[in-house]
Amino acid sequence: MRDVIEVNHLKFNYRKRGVLKDVSFKVGVGKVVGLIGENGAGKTTLLKVLLGFLPDHGRAKILNSTPRLNYDVSSMMQGDLKLPGVTVQDILEETAAQSTSSLDIERVLKELDMMDLIHQRLTSLSGGQLRRVSFAMALIPNTRLVFLDEPTVGMDVNSRQRLWQKIDDLKKEGKTILITSHYLNELEKIADQILILKDGKIAFDGSFNELQSKYLMTTISFKTELGMDNFTNIDSLKNIRKKNGIIYIKSRDGDRTLQALLPLLNELHQISITRESLEKIFISMSEEELTDEKVNHTASI
Amino acid sequence: MKKLTTQLRFDGRRLVLRNTSFIFFSLLMPVMFYILFTKVMVVTNNSAEMKIFSLNYMGSMIVYSILITSLMNIATFLMRDREQGFLMFLKMSDRGLFDYYISMGLWSVTMSMISVVILGGVAVLVNGVSLGLTQWGALGLMVLIGQLPLLLLGMALSFIKRQETLGVVCNLITFPAAIVSGLWWPIGLLPKWLQVIGEKLPTYFLNDVISSITNHAKLKLVDFVGIGIWTIILLAVTLLIIKISQRRGIFAGVQA
Repeated sequence: MRDVIEVNHLKFNYRKRGVLKDVSFKVGVGKVVGLIGENGAGKTTLLKVLLGFLPDHGRAKILNSTPRLNYDVSSMMQGDLKLPGVTVQDILEETAAQSTSSLDIERVLKELDMMDLIHQRLTSLSGGQLRRVSFAMALIPNTRLVFLDEPTVGMDVNSRQRLWQKIDDLKKEGKTILITSHYLNELEKIADQILILKDGKIAFDGSFNELQSKYLMTTISFKTELGMDNFTNIDSLKNIRKKNGIIYIKSRDGDRTLQALLPLLNELHQISITRESLEKIFISMSEEELTDEKVNHTASI
Repeated sequence: MKKLTTQLRFDGRRLVLRNTSFIFFSLLMPVMFYILFTKVMVVTNNSAEMKIFSLNYMGSMIVYSILITSLMNIATFLMRDREQGFLMFLKMSDRGLFDYYISMGLWSVTMSMISVVILGGVAVLVNGVSLGLTQWGALGLMVLIGQLPLLLLGMALSFIKRQETLGVVCNLITFPAAIVSGLWWPIGLLPKWLQVIGEKLPTYFLNDVISSITNHAKLKLVDFVGIGIWTIILLAVTLLIIKISQRRGIFAGVQA
């Protein structure tokens, strides 16, 4: 089978503002894909285009066909249903009636440890509980492709763990899952492919390992009497700056930069080495141009 | 068929059984008004006059109940379903919104019929109102036809963006309309200029038809023409709003 999702130079404007400017990517069968981006980056809009709610202008293919409604696709969008007078059982029965291949409601609720909620009204549930109901609603239609938009927002730790466990189970069943999230750490263990959406474009498309090797930075800081010129050409340098008498070197390869600094070791004091967290990678990616490969020299005192 | 029956069960529970707003504002309140004005605050000792008033006020309260249901209940449910993404959710199924609209339409009609049964029952039990089977049948039929403009108005109003605004607008329409069209007290008590306005409202036409039926009076063509014109106007307005909403991508609550 060909790719489950195929997007080529997709554009989408909302009120004359380019939300999606040039989006291209492919997703293979049975992959778990993490779609990362800041608030307003266009993640939800992209999902709505892929679901067929918004026009794709012939630029997208889902399950080998143009996106349209009534597909072998289910979704868990942001904003949970909080309909008055409706119980969890009601909404799940309603969900099950929409598809011919639906899963048994009780089975899904037991798997997600939600049987205690079955008779509760949606209006009486907390934000995290509502999110779990929405997740159950995405599972019940038993579709080949599942879109999850910020699935863990508001969930407690146990619920999150159960959700990721369930997603892992779905992956083993061969389902393709596209998840949007702000949390890189959560996606690290499960995602086969990471897409980073920035300014309406896919700024990164690859595996988590590729992302790490490309963007995981090491910061080496020290005090020295030597001038900045001595460090501007060292190996794997991303950028260098000086603040309060301390020189900060950001390196793409901490080991190689340290080796390059070894000859100067006697001149360096108060040395500190910090590896950036995944969250920091995301923040720095949001602040900088991902495609900018040039070494940026700045000095601020 | 399974989808439609599930949808009917789903909507029946939330629109009728578990809908305190419907039970209180559409049923209990008109019943309380009816008992209050026909049993407690009696304005005449003439039994013949009182019999007519009990009949007419039953009709008025039925219309008032339908007005409340259309504007306070149906409009709110339609709006909330769209805003919360329930329509988006339903649109993903192979039958789209077809079953949803069928179900909402059937339940709207049922809710009006429940009003007729409850208020009619109270009128019979409390005031000994007596109507023939044909009269009850004609009354039910007229309620079905006469509620159309009110339901269309509720549907049009459901496209108001914020729930708070919808609540205010519905209140601003419901209560003045009820008073001006003579549902709360006889229209003859109002100033002349207000009567002129009141006699042009769909609630007045429906109330007048019901009054003709219950009093064995001749049905007036002007009432049917009035209901017809209001239906056409509100249908056109609703279709226009739907078209604009679809163009803006907000018909099913879908926004970029």
